[in-house]
Amino acid sequence: MNDWQKKSPLEWKTYKMVKVAAVEKHEYEGWVLTVDPVSASIVLATFLENEKVSISVVLGHAVQEVEILREGDDEMKQRLSCIFAPEESKAYSP
Amino acid sequence: TSPRFQALLGGREEEVGAAQEARAALRQRYLRGLAAARGRPTHFSLRAGVRVDAVFGAADVEAVAFQVDALRTPLGVEAAALLRCTDVLAFSFLLD
Repeated sequence: MNDWQKKSPLEWKTYKMVKVAAVEKHEYEGWVLTVDPVSASIVLATFLENEKVSISVVLGHAVQEVEILREGDDEMKQRLSCIFAPEESKAYSP
Repeated sequence: TSPRFQALLGGREEEVGAAQEARAALRQRYLRGLAAARGRPTHFSLRAGVRVDAVFGAADVEAVAFQVDALRTPLGVEAAALLRCTDVLAFSFLLD
């Protein structure tokens, strides 16, 4: 078992920027939206220049190491939390 | 939150409850993410450096396979296909 799998689900409640090392020397970087407790897949979000969001899902079986780069601030938390929010609970700007 | 589950985690009741709540929230967000992927052009990285593009369809509960449409392979476009999860390393798509 890798170290990262021992992390408690509570640790993923706060948004973190991570670097994921996967098998076959693949690397992925982004903000962790969620870690699936069933398949251990990591869902990452990266913000592109054209205001689009790129979502990458690294499957649990392929993950080798997860390095935490930094913690998200309140603004980032706001941006990330509404990405997969159900329609009715989306926050609207005034 | 069964006694058996609590014994497995070996924590105090409130800690176990908080962990379970966090797990449920993480799972829910993952499922919403899969729902958001539906119908979007998706790029799959498979084993041995193989990369394919397809339109994301669905995933099963146990993470065994992904169903995709319009899978582009070197031999042509498959209208519908299943990708084994064990062959997939990662996939990505764009939200607008």
